[in-house]
Amino acid sequence: METNLEYLKKATASFTEEIAAAKLDTSAKSEEFRIRFLGQRRGVIPQLFKTIPHLPKQDRRSAGLLLNALRKKAQTALESAIEQHRVTTTNTRDIDLTLPGRHSQWAGSRHPITLALAKITDIFEHMGFAVAEGPEIEDDWHNFTALNFPADHPARDMQDTLFIEEPGEGRAGAMMRTHTSPVQIRTMVAGEPPFRLIAPGRVFRNEAITYKSYCLFHQVEGLVVDDGVTMVDLKHTLSNFARAFFGNDVKMRFRPSFFPFTEPSGEVDIWWNLPDHPKGGRWMEILGSGMVHPNVLEAVGIDSERYTGYAFGMGIERPAMLRYGIDDIRIFYENDSRFLAQF
Amino acid sequence: MKISYNWLSEYVAHELSPEGLAHALTMSGLEVEDMLHLGPSLDGIFVGRVESVRPHPNADRLRLCDIDLGTDELIPIVCGAPNVAADQRVPVATIGTRLVMGEKVLKIKKSKIRGQVSMGMICAEDELGLSDDHSGIMVLSETAVIGESLLDYLLREGQEVNDTVLDVAITPNRADAISHIGIARDVSALQNVPLKRPKVTIPSDGGETIQHIKVDIQCPDLCHRYVAMIVTGVKIGPSPIWLKRRLEAIGLRSINNVVDATNFVMYECGQPLHAFDYDRIARQRITVRESVEGEEFTTLDGKKHTLNEGVILICDGERPVAIGGIMGGENSEVDDATSNVLIEGAWFCPSRTRRSAKALGIATDASYRFERGVDTASQPWATAHVAALIAELGGGSVTPGIVDVHPQPPATTKLNLRLARVPKILGIQIPCKDILRILGSLGFDPYEAGDVISCTVPTYRPDIHLEIDLIEEIARIYGFDQIKESRSVPLPASVPVTRPIDLMRERVHAYLNGHGFREIYTNSLLPDEQAMQFSQAVIEAAYPPVRTLNAVSRSMATLRPSLLPGMLNAMQHNTHHGQRTLRFYEFGHVFHLSEHEATFIENYSEYEVLLFGVSGPIRPQSWDGSIPLADFFDIKGDVEKLLSILNLDSLSMEPSFEPTKITAHHITLRANKKWVGTIARLSDEMQAANDLPDPVFFATFNWTRLALMCEEQPATVYTPVPRYPVVERDIAIVVDSQQPVGPMINKVRKAGQPLLKSTDIFDVYKGKGIAPDKKSVAFSLRFGANRTLRDKEIDHIVQKIVSSLSAQFDAELRA
Repeated sequence: METNLEYLKKATASFTEEIAAAKLDTSAKSEEFRIRFLGQRRGVIPQLFKTIPHLPKQDRRSAGLLLNALRKKAQTALESAIEQHRVTTTNTRDIDLTLPGRHSQWAGSRHPITLALAKITDIFEHMGFAVAEGPEIEDDWHNFTALNFPADHPARDMQDTLFIEEPGEGRAGAMMRTHTSPVQIRTMVAGEPPFRLIAPGRVFRNEAITYKSYCLFHQVEGLVVDDGVTMVDLKHTLSNFARAFFGNDVKMRFRPSFFPFTEPSGEVDIWWNLPDHPKGGRWMEILGSGMVHPNVLEAVGIDSERYTGYAFGMGIERPAMLRYGIDDIRIFYENDSRFLAQF
Repeated sequence: MKISYNWLSEYVAHELSPEGLAHALTMSGLEVEDMLHLGPSLDGIFVGRVESVRPHPNADRLRLCDIDLGTDELIPIVCGAPNVAADQRVPVATIGTRLVMGEKVLKIKKSKIRGQVSMGMICAEDELGLSDDHSGIMVLSETAVIGESLLDYLLREGQEVNDTVLDVAITPNRADAISHIGIARDVSALQNVPLKRPKVTIPSDGGETIQHIKVDIQCPDLCHRYVAMIVTGVKIGPSPIWLKRRLEAIGLRSINNVVDATNFVMYECGQPLHAFDYDRIARQRITVRESVEGEEFTTLDGKKHTLNEGVILICDGERPVAIGGIMGGENSEVDDATSNVLIEGAWFCPSRTRRSAKALGIATDASYRFERGVDTASQPWATAHVAALIAELGGGSVTPGIVDVHPQPPATTKLNLRLARVPKILGIQIPCKDILRILGSLGFDPYEAGDVISCTVPTYRPDIHLEIDLIEEIARIYGFDQIKESRSVPLPASVPVTRPIDLMRERVHAYLNGHGFREIYTNSLLPDEQAMQFSQAVIEAAYPPVRTLNAVSRSMATLRPSLLPGMLNAMQHNTHHGQRTLRFYEFGHVFHLSEHEATFIENYSEYEVLLFGVSGPIRPQSWDGSIPLADFFDIKGDVEKLLSILNLDSLSMEPSFEPTKITAHHITLRANKKWVGTIARLSDEMQAANDLPDPVFFATFNWTRLALMCEEQPATVYTPVPRYPVVERDIAIVVDSQQPVGPMINKVRKAGQPLLKSTDIFDVYKGKGIAPDKKSVAFSLRFGANRTLRDKEIDHIVQKIVSSLSAQFDAELRA
């Protein structure tokens, strides 16, 4: 590129003519104009500016004035053209408003289990519960023994266990956790009462995959330990939860049950309307709960005479299936976009 | 367990309908999962009186009857039964009734029989499904009320017409409730009516029986009691109809009178019983001992078992004849030729029974009960009951006396209940008299001693050890419904704070959702080969994967070492269903065997991973342009933006062109030399193996580590926003075409300190105007400070940037 003032003057004159002659009657033409004269990369005016440092020192000032004037002309022309377009555009019908909008991206989505879990977590967080997590590989002590499951007891059959390692010399044995309850143990071992927490997570059962069972599912565990906690508090918390999750008019029942780590133990059923069912619906179990068994408190070094507490646990898939009307649990893990896009 | 409503009602005079009973049981801890009504439907059958009988004009064997059903008009019915007579009370099937007879259904309609109108049918017993009797119409007693339903009449007469079977879910603690009497006991407590046990005379110990059978228990810890009785002269044959009905109602098949009798008593009281053919017991001896390793035994189902050590064996004078608590042997089974029966009523150790049954892969009604804990004292009663029943059904005689070997009677358990503890757990006050009544009706023999109620744990409640167990018994009988919600609850002492990891996860979700990614959930279990393949990849540390011991199937044998195989499955599935755009992400745990990096459990490393991946067009189709396919810089851009959202811009990124089985090329992200993530293009082989049409790019992170780094960051402190204008300059640099741009950016940033605020690459150009082995890289530079910058300063610093680039990268300013 030539780098003398004469050249710059010539170029400026010719560009000035061009600018004056430019017919900027459409947006496209204005954009073309902008790129040609003012574009940061290839625009002719910025290119000319770049030659200034190469001019003899005494010429630089006049070159600067020259080019600034040129730039000003180009900018003015462009701005008035843009102003013109704006006016014409708002006043013209030369735009098809029915064309679809431009999408920089698709809509993403969260998995329905994440959504159900978030809703459950949200309800309990409003009731002052903290969130804790634990590992999916557990040892026998955390998953069973500390939770008052005696060795060789049929209670262990309630949960078909997927084992990783047999217990052996100096080894506690490892398994995939069958419930989120070990998080109770980990939390209580690590701290002092009061406790008020929920623990969401993935749990495993050694079961074949069918439309109603999968080898893994998700649970939320809850634990409260403090002075003076009673079953009235438990029932209150669970009723509040059911109303918040299923709606204020939910019909529910709280009936005795058995879990090794709580006593008394109870399960909550909600009435689910099914128009085709001979009775118009049926009771669906949604969660298990109870007062923390004194053996559990003692196992983690908490005085069971002074402190009492309650615990509860619920599956995520089942209430999610009820809420969304899903009848095959496998669809959660198939990850079909046509399914995922619905949430 | 299935429970017959009629059978149960023999033991307790409750006033509950089947539905009421199901509800009462469910609400006290014995959940009724299903109900099934058995027996004929007698809907539409009413009691009628035969007003008059006349011969049929056109048929000798038919009669015309006028029937009074208690309505205004008499009903004409044509009847063919020989025994119909005036003034009889008879069951009448009215129009519209459906009579089920075997496989046929007869629908009663208004009809003409040989020219005479008939408006119903007078029924025989077989037509009503009440018996096989077809000798004539059923004639009812004088007490039948005209117009009442036949069902009401039969029930009033005490006839068992229908039954209801309740399927009760027995929780593992309720060994006492695995029988009709056991459940009747709860009903008696719930309804406050007495429990009626059948009267059984237990013979006095010894007697003649002791001369015919000797019992020796060598393992009293495992079998603390063994009771034997003998019934001679039994004729093996079918059971009577009442017994068949009882057993069939609860889903058992009737076998013969002896086996049915033992099953009946087991389902009555919960004590499993075994009948041996006495004549096949060698030397009139029974020995209870533990098996030795490798012993062989054939059970009565014909299966041969090789036993482990420690299985409880019942042996005669020569050989084992039964596996204690689990199943009898083929060699001593009762068959049609049996005439003398030896009855065993014993107690076997729950945990040993469970272990042996599991090892043998046998689950029987007996093992189910012994595993949970059979009443430690019911053996004499149950054995005497079944002996009497066998004698009655098979026409034999019970040998006088009983052998009752009981070397180690278990101690009775005494428990104290502090009255003050009850409200401390339940939150409600239960009157002391109610507590006493409930514990009394459940058999705890309570008495009040000041603030304490003293109890004796009944022998059928092996689950009761502690005061809390008594409180649960009180609560479940008193009723959970009595526990009222409080109107308010106290505020927790401290307010929980949302964990940083959850806040960050939320930001990642929001970012990825906004950029078109869909969240997926994939299986944590993979086929072993796949787990091996993905754990050996460069993607993360190459530790061996974690295998399971008892996988349900080969396709779910090993824990995932990476989320990538799951995502590739999802991509493949969606490709096969016509989806071209693939943008997915997942948060999930992965697992490795590792001694050094064990996390929670020794030898196992487990952490959470975030994976996201793209393949296919980068944007939705639009009407004003074509859409390119995703490439490496799309995923890299997402990573950079995510890291910037998380304030983690300082990670080192190391590119690698070394292909692996999984990746074509990748960038490793590290923090303090530790791996935190990888950005990669999937290898062509992997892409082809998963049947994916377009290149796949993914980024995977150790989310646990990343979250920890975020947590450790100091809290944000505000930097004043500069009030002075930013000065922009562009430079274009010509370098060797192989020169990576990344290090040049770092150099520019460093050389531009402290005035350079940011820099971007706005062009990378090869071609016309540039030497063939060179490329032009254009930087835009933005300078700023807390004052107005002078041109001279900027010129100076631009100069510094250019010269440091030329020094290190042999770069030249593009003319």
